Amino acid sequence: MKNRYSQIKNLKRVAFSNTVDSIVSLIIISIGITTLLTLSKWMIFSANWSVVSINLPLFLFGSFPNDQLWRPGLWISLFAIFSLITILGPQWSWLRKSLLLLWISYGPLGVFLLAGGIGLSSVESQNWGGLTLTILLTSCSAIFSLPLGIALALGRQSTLPIVKNLSSIYIDVMRSIPLIAVLFFGQLLIPLFLPVGLEIDRVSRAIIAFTLFVSAYIAEDVRGGLQSISRTQKEAGEVLGLHPFQITCLIILPQALRVALPSLTNQAVGLLQNTSLMAILGLVELLGVGRSVLANPEFIGRYIEVYLLLAAIYWILGTLMALIARHLEQQLTLEKKDL
Amino acid sequence: MRRIFTGILTFSMLLTGCVNSSVGTQSRLELIKRRDSLICGVSGKIPGFSFLNRNGTYQGLDVDICKAFAAAFLGSSQKVQFRPLTAPERFTAIRTGEIDLLSRNTTFNLSRDSSKGNGLIFAPIIFHDGQGLMVRKSRKINNIEELAQKSICVGSGTTTEQNINDAFESKSLPYTPIKYQDLNQVVAGYLQGRCAAMTSDRSQLAAAKSGFKNPKAHIILDDVLSKEPLAPAAAEGDQLLSDAMRWVVFALFTAEEKGITQSNINEKLEIARSNPQMKPLRRFLGIEGDLGEKLGIPNDFVVKVITSTGNYGEIYNRHLGPNSKVPIPRGLNKIYTEGGLHFAPPFN
Repeated sequence: MKNRYSQIKNLKRVAFSNTVDSIVSLIIISIGITTLLTLSKWMIFSANWSVVSINLPLFLFGSFPNDQLWRPGLWISLFAIFSLITILGPQWSWLRKSLLLLWISYGPLGVFLLAGGIGLSSVESQNWGGLTLTILLTSCSAIFSLPLGIALALGRQSTLPIVKNLSSIYIDVMRSIPLIAVLFFGQLLIPLFLPVGLEIDRVSRAIIAFTLFVSAYIAEDVRGGLQSISRTQKEAGEVLGLHPFQITCLIILPQALRVALPSLTNQAVGLLQNTSLMAILGLVELLGVGRSVLANPEFIGRYIEVYLLLAAIYWILGTLMALIARHLEQQLTLEKKDL
Repeated sequence: MRRIFTGILTFSMLLTGCVNSSVGTQSRLELIKRRDSLICGVSGKIPGFSFLNRNGTYQGLDVDICKAFAAAFLGSSQKVQFRPLTAPERFTAIRTGEIDLLSRNTTFNLSRDSSKGNGLIFAPIIFHDGQGLMVRKSRKINNIEELAQKSICVGSGTTTEQNINDAFESKSLPYTPIKYQDLNQVVAGYLQGRCAAMTSDRSQLAAAKSGFKNPKAHIILDDVLSKEPLAPAAAEGDQLLSDAMRWVVFALFTAEEKGITQSNINEKLEIARSNPQMKPLRRFLGIEGDLGEKLGIPNDFVVKVITSTGNYGEIYNRHLGPNSKVPIPRGLNKIYTEGGLHFAPPFN
């Protein structure tokens, strides 16, 4: 009771300390409440959610064959399970240690589950779609671009002029091209350079384009981390007689990545949002499916319902990623205290 | 400096060499047969023409035309993959060989056909359309002159944008175009009241209107701003593929003209088999002669096409007929014997 009283007092101090403050607060609160009321009134009484309920499998899995739906279903549920495990922080240390491995294997596992092979019937990539495709694009691009980005960042610090210059040129060129141009290049120009008959499917081309683009940004984030590590760390390694390779892998990189983690998270969330650009290039990922469903004569004009659903899904995914990253950061700072 | 320049030159020559050798030598039709599947570029976002139905498969008039091609070339309408494409990227996709052919509400015009333009080759027109304007009845606008000074919602990167501009400029009327990326966004903009009128092909206006809460509150003006003959297309220089496409479409028209439908095709086949004197029908159905082989496809391609999709009229009625969700009066799209424009040369 006392606690609640102090809360009210606190609120009074923060929002209603004088007349001007009170008026501003009242206006903001009333605007907030009206918006919320109108929105929920619309969502409950005016909206027709059949467009969502009928097409839910489409939004989640695209046009994946009906008898094989358990495959993307399993994969998406694994995403939820992994996220929960990471956020809750398990007691068993073996699980905690294998978490990183779980996340790294998540992308390849998805490719296996979706594409098939070894006991699973194969499903062509033009049947992949919806949320499944969005997560696949994000996770695969992230897995490939992180090592490439780290390599580029190390290359930029290299003493060999060729490696150093090539890395800097690559990074600077990529960062000066808009993402949509890189994606157009991937979708429209790559097939032009390939001989007839050899085709890289559109999903792989999208992943390649995203990887090439994002790795340049990751390289800069990692470089920031690398530069924050003081020279003495390297010198200490040398004194211990470690090989330069060991110094980089065991001393410099772990510390640099810890520093770079917040900006890397930023890149990951940005990557998730950017996959929606593929809708412009004809992939039926989450946004693309939404636009195709809206062309069905049965559902013409239900824009708001569909786009609200998409917004909610992106919001949930983005929040999950942010939570996971925050958790990782906390774990890493704990380790620092232990040192 | 010179060495770098020669290096770049050799590299680019190598690249162009690759491109030429890949496009020049063989027909796409051979590639389609070897792959045993047809890759068809569609819009995926046009009601009645191509959209994703609730089972996650594509459906519509454009889609059925693709299925007819697949049935003719490969013997089964199932052997087709659909690539959804947006308006700006469709021509690049066909030039780069990303898709075999395009069946995506593409207007047949000079600059798209010519080799110095988009370098396409068109199959016969499968849908005659024209650009129109839709307004709210309550606005009391009856013709294009009354739209002066008003704003108009239009999709960008299409001939639609150019036509509306030409129409207003020729009458020296000022107007404000509000541009959107695709038709659904144009509709949304119009419904939100951002513009006095929306413009698009009349078929698309009718489709959009049928989805409105109160379709009767909107009217399509009588002004027709353009001819919009929509046709499937392939990359220029591929005689084999374009001939085959042309005659598959003609087969759809001829079947309607002869009254051959999905349900009576087997009967007709029996009749033709047992009556050697019915030469034209026997040739058409591939019992006699080598019409298919001349095109590089099986002789019985017409039978395969009609069994899987039906004739042109059946395809039309399935997606745009009076009982469909997007009813569009047939008008010019009737067969020529009924006063329309669809006419096929003889199968001789």
